[in-house]
Amino acid sequence: MIDVRNLSYSYSHNKSYAIRDISFEVGEGEVFALLGPSGAGKSTTQGILTGLLPIQTGEGEVAGFDLRHMSRDLFNSIGVSFEQSNVYGKLTALENLAFYRKLFDVETEDPMELLKMVGLDHVANKRAGDYSKGMKHRLTFARSMINKPKLWFLDEPTTGLDPTIAGQIKDIVLKRKQEGTTILLTTHNMFLADQLSDKVGFIVDGELKLIDTPRNLKLKYGQRLVQVDYYQDGELVSETLSLAEAGEKHRLSEIVAAGNIETMHSREATLEEIFIKVTGRELVYNEAD
Amino acid sequence: MLRRILAVTMRDLRSGMRDAMIPYILIAPLLVAVLFKLFVPGVGSTVINVAMPETAEPAFAEYVERYGEVELLEDRDAIVKRVQAMDDLFGIVPKADGGYELIAAGDELTGTVEMVQSVLSSWQNPDLEPPVELKISDMGWELSPLARFGTNFLVVFMSVFGGMIVMLNLVEEKQYNTMAAINVSAIRRWEYVLGKALPGLILPILHAFAVLVIMGFTEVDYLQVAVVAFAIALISMIIGFVVGVYQSEPIGAVASMKILFLPIMASVFGAIFLPEKWQPVLYWSPFYWAYRSVDDIVLQQAAWSDIWLHNLIIIAITALVFALMHKRIKQGMRA
Repeated sequence: MIDVRNLSYSYSHNKSYAIRDISFEVGEGEVFALLGPSGAGKSTTQGILTGLLPIQTGEGEVAGFDLRHMSRDLFNSIGVSFEQSNVYGKLTALENLAFYRKLFDVETEDPMELLKMVGLDHVANKRAGDYSKGMKHRLTFARSMINKPKLWFLDEPTTGLDPTIAGQIKDIVLKRKQEGTTILLTTHNMFLADQLSDKVGFIVDGELKLIDTPRNLKLKYGQRLVQVDYYQDGELVSETLSLAEAGEKHRLSEIVAAGNIETMHSREATLEEIFIKVTGRELVYNEAD
Repeated sequence: MLRRILAVTMRDLRSGMRDAMIPYILIAPLLVAVLFKLFVPGVGSTVINVAMPETAEPAFAEYVERYGEVELLEDRDAIVKRVQAMDDLFGIVPKADGGYELIAAGDELTGTVEMVQSVLSSWQNPDLEPPVELKISDMGWELSPLARFGTNFLVVFMSVFGGMIVMLNLVEEKQYNTMAAINVSAIRRWEYVLGKALPGLILPILHAFAVLVIMGFTEVDYLQVAVVAFAIALISMIIGFVVGVYQSEPIGAVASMKILFLPIMASVFGAIFLPEKWQPVLYWSPFYWAYRSVDDIVLQQAAWSDIWLHNLIIIAITALVFALMHKRIKQGMRA
């Protein structure tokens, strides 16, 4: 569905690259997450793939369309949800969607159904300008589904949403994934990327450092750990022990044999820990990203 | 294709009607035309209006009708009541001695009492030679200069309002950052531009028609008016696009749009006041050529060949402006 090779882009048209030599593939029905901190080049990459930025160097195809000769027909099969909500404030939510659906040549979703899906049906006839930030974000998200996209670009889809709404959005994305929609997710949220993606790519300073499945990354870079809380001489003690180390495995056996355990959990490395390990950078969220 | 173009146009109209700016732009020019009309001296104001009893001698009524409008009323009381109404009207009631009673409210236009007195005097003294020698010369003015130049100015000036509507709708897109969403939909760039431009092209034509009707020019060739208004709307629309795609705040955008006022004023007043030999200094202005066309139309002297020639010049200048600006417009519409 997406196949790009050696993409580089400079906003100032010089050697100061926002992204440099990026190559990756996303197969049909796959969810690929571009994970990186603020200013890493995630949105620039998405901008090129959605035609919002012109391709400078490199080549690629999106949904069967050459990036160098993009046709408007491409947009019948893709949907884009922006990080910054962008809806017409003077129109109601329903009017926003009713207008946008007319811009496509393909069968579209019922606007009211979409609003129900994102929990905005009770304010469907309220002007979007009077919505809260989160509501506008949900409307922007709903709009990206209006043309039943085969390829869906999601830029920070849960940023700024409360946990309940963020959970609903995540469920919608999972449902679409099950229905076979290909998804390119750009986010700094490693939990979201972990839960939704088949593959992740770590992007830092405009360079794609690594691509793999979350499971392989955890196996490769993470340690199998067990965190155990137990009582010793009347005091609660907590230890994290590696199952890869013989000495620590033995220590775990001793604790278990003593029988004073309060809680015991297996613990995997998170994507964030792996990200830091691989790139030496943290996934710090920045509103301006 | 048409569905998408109309979707953009209808969205703009719907959104535009939800704040005061666009309704104001739609109505303000018409109010200006009404004000102009109030200041323009009409033919009607030079006619004397007279009320006399139904029993008045028919020959006398016919004689007075040569100089003004005559109303026949039941009796003197009805005439007095009529004279007291808001408009300028004199009452004439025949007296038993063969004379006439002239009834006036006292607030009539200066000189009109003397006009009625003169009519009565000439009726009563048909053989009396006037003590002055009269010569009538024709200056060639078939209508009030204020009506003519004012109407022309309004028709040309109103093209700016079409451009303003285009501009305000683009500013809204910038304000809400919705251009990015448009750019990832299946609408073609030219469909979007045409959808945005339609109100800016149609509105000046409707405004021009309305101004001409309000100013009383009902006999002119409206097809010629439409053709000229369309051509002049093009240049205003391009300026509307240039300003609109780079502004994200309506008041600032309107202020920038005022840039058009200068060439319009210069063209119209230059065309009116500059002697013929200096007119070529205005040839660069499309508004000048539009003004010349509208002037001919208002005077009912416009030949289609002249209209097309002027339009060709307007479109050529517009094309040049577009060639200079299109990169800027394209860049501004990216996001």
